[in-house]
Amino acid sequence: MESKRNTSSFRDPSGYVFIEDDSVKRVVNHIYFEQYNQLTSSGFYQLLFDKKYLVSHQEVSRTDSEIIIEASKIPFINYPYEWSFLQYKHAALLTLKIQKLCLENNFTLKDASAFNITFHEGKPIFIDTLSFDFYQENNPWLAYKQFVMHFLGPLVLTKYFGQDHLKTLALHLEGISLQKLSNLLPLKSYWSPILLTNIHLLAKYDKKYESDKKKVNNNLSKASQIKLLDGLYDYILNLSVNEKTEWDHYYNQINYNEVAYQVKKEFVKDWFSSIKGKSLIDIGGNDGTFSRELKELADFMIVADVDANAVEQNYKQILKNKEKSILPIVVDVLNPVANYGFNNQERFSFIDRVEEANLDAGLALAVIHHITLSGNIPFSLSAQFFSKMAPNLLIEFPTRADSWVQFLLDSKREFKSHFDFYNEENFENEYAVYFEIVHKVKIDSSERILYSLKRR
Amino acid sequence: MIPLYFDPGTGALIVQFLAAAVAGILLFYRTVLHKIKSIFGIKNKEEDDFMDETDNSEDTK
Repeated sequence: MESKRNTSSFRDPSGYVFIEDDSVKRVVNHIYFEQYNQLTSSGFYQLLFDKKYLVSHQEVSRTDSEIIIEASKIPFINYPYEWSFLQYKHAALLTLKIQKLCLENNFTLKDASAFNITFHEGKPIFIDTLSFDFYQENNPWLAYKQFVMHFLGPLVLTKYFGQDHLKTLALHLEGISLQKLSNLLPLKSYWSPILLTNIHLLAKYDKKYESDKKKVNNNLSKASQIKLLDGLYDYILNLSVNEKTEWDHYYNQINYNEVAYQVKKEFVKDWFSSIKGKSLIDIGGNDGTFSRELKELADFMIVADVDANAVEQNYKQILKNKEKSILPIVVDVLNPVANYGFNNQERFSFIDRVEEANLDAGLALAVIHHITLSGNIPFSLSAQFFSKMAPNLLIEFPTRADSWVQFLLDSKREFKSHFDFYNEENFENEYAVYFEIVHKVKIDSSERILYSLKRR
Repeated sequence: MIPLYFDPGTGALIVQFLAAAVAGILLFYRTVLHKIKSIFGIKNKEEDDFMDETDNSEDTK
C-alpha cells in the first residue's frame, strides 16, 4: 500500500492529509480529538454534509493517538487564483455562511483561508474538515483578519482595478498585506462604511497593535459577531465588476457561420462517443458552449479559458441549469500556474493536476492559431503541451486561408514571414511526433480542419 | 482551544467590535429604508440566489 503525506499539509497541528491508493485520507491528531468527537456526536458535521457546505468523510480507524478519516474524492482541486469574480465572491460568501452556522451551533472557524474552498459539482465547497473549533463565549473571530486578506481584499481590488487581482493569492500565498491593501484603495473607498472599518481601520489597528500581545477575548458578543458577518455578507453580495475583456461574448461577436457551427457540434459529439470518454478538458472553452453539448456523455468536464468574464458566464449558466459535471476555471495556457509554496510543493501546478486527473479527452477548438501566432509557440512545443492533457485530442486547425489567421498574420507586419511555417503540412508533421492522426475532416463552408488525434 | 498556528492579529480582534457596531447601524438603516420603500411600493431588485438553499431560516435576497 502506497501512502505519502500530502506535501501541502503541514501547518495545522490538528492533523494532516495523506494520499493512499488514490483516496484522500486525513489523520486527526490527539490534540483535536475533543473537537472532532463533539463535531461528530452533535451532528454538526452531518449538518454541513447535508447542506453540501463541507466535503463529506467517513471514519476509517480510531486509536488512542490518531483517528483516520477518508474524504470523498474531488477530481480536480482548483485554487482561488483560478476562479472568476463570481466564483471568488461565492467562495467568500460560503465562508461567511459557514461561520454563521458555526456560531449557531457553538462552533467557530479557526481559519478562513481561501484555500479551504474549491469548486466541485458546480458549487464552492469547504474542504478543510479540521478548521472547526469550539466557540468561546464573547470571543472575537480569530480568522477575521485572514478572511479580509484572502477574500475581501482581492475582491475589492478587483472591483476597483480589474480581474487580474483575482490572482493575488498566486503571488501572496497569505493574501495581500492590510497596509498595502489600504494604501492601494482609492479615496472613495473611505466613503463605504464597510471598507472603512474592515480594511482601513483594520489596517491601522493591525499596525498599531503589532507588538502588543495582550489577550483579547471578551469584547464581542455572538450577536455582534453575527452583525459583523452579515455586514460583510451584504457588501460582498452586492459587489460587481465591470470590465470589458477580449473574449467576452465571443459567440455573439464573431462571424460564426451557423452551418459550420452545427457541423462542428456534431463532429465533437461523435468523436467523444467514439472514444467512449467520460471526462474531458476543454482548452479555450470560453463559456462552455461546446462542452455543454457533451453533457449527456460526460461525467466531468473542465472548461478552461484565459478570459475571466467568459469563465464567469459559464459559471452563471452552471448555476442557472444546476449543472454538476462542468468545472469552469481561468487558465492561461501560455502561462499556466506553477507549483507554489514552500519547496514548490504546497500548491500544485495546472499541468500536474491535469495529469493526475487522468482525463479521457482534450478539446482544443479555435485555439491553436492564437497559441501559435499570438503566443509565438512553435508547433512542436504546443504538441508537447497538449500531449500532457489527455490521451485523445480533438483539435481544430484554422488554415492560412481562414480570416482570423489572416488577420493575425497581417498584424505581424514585417515579421510575418517568420510565420510561414504555419500551415497544414507542418502542423501535421510536428503533431505526429506525439500523436497519431486518427481522423481528419475539413469543416464545410469554413477554412478549418478538425483533427482527431491519439497520443502515442 | 487549540493554539492557533497563525497570528490572528491583536488589532484585528479589537477592531471587530467597531466594525460590528458599524455593520449593525448599516443593517438597521437598510431595514428602515426597505420598510419605507415598501410602504411606497418600491421593491428592491432581486439578487441572484447563488446557492440552492434547502434551509429556509435566512432571507434569500
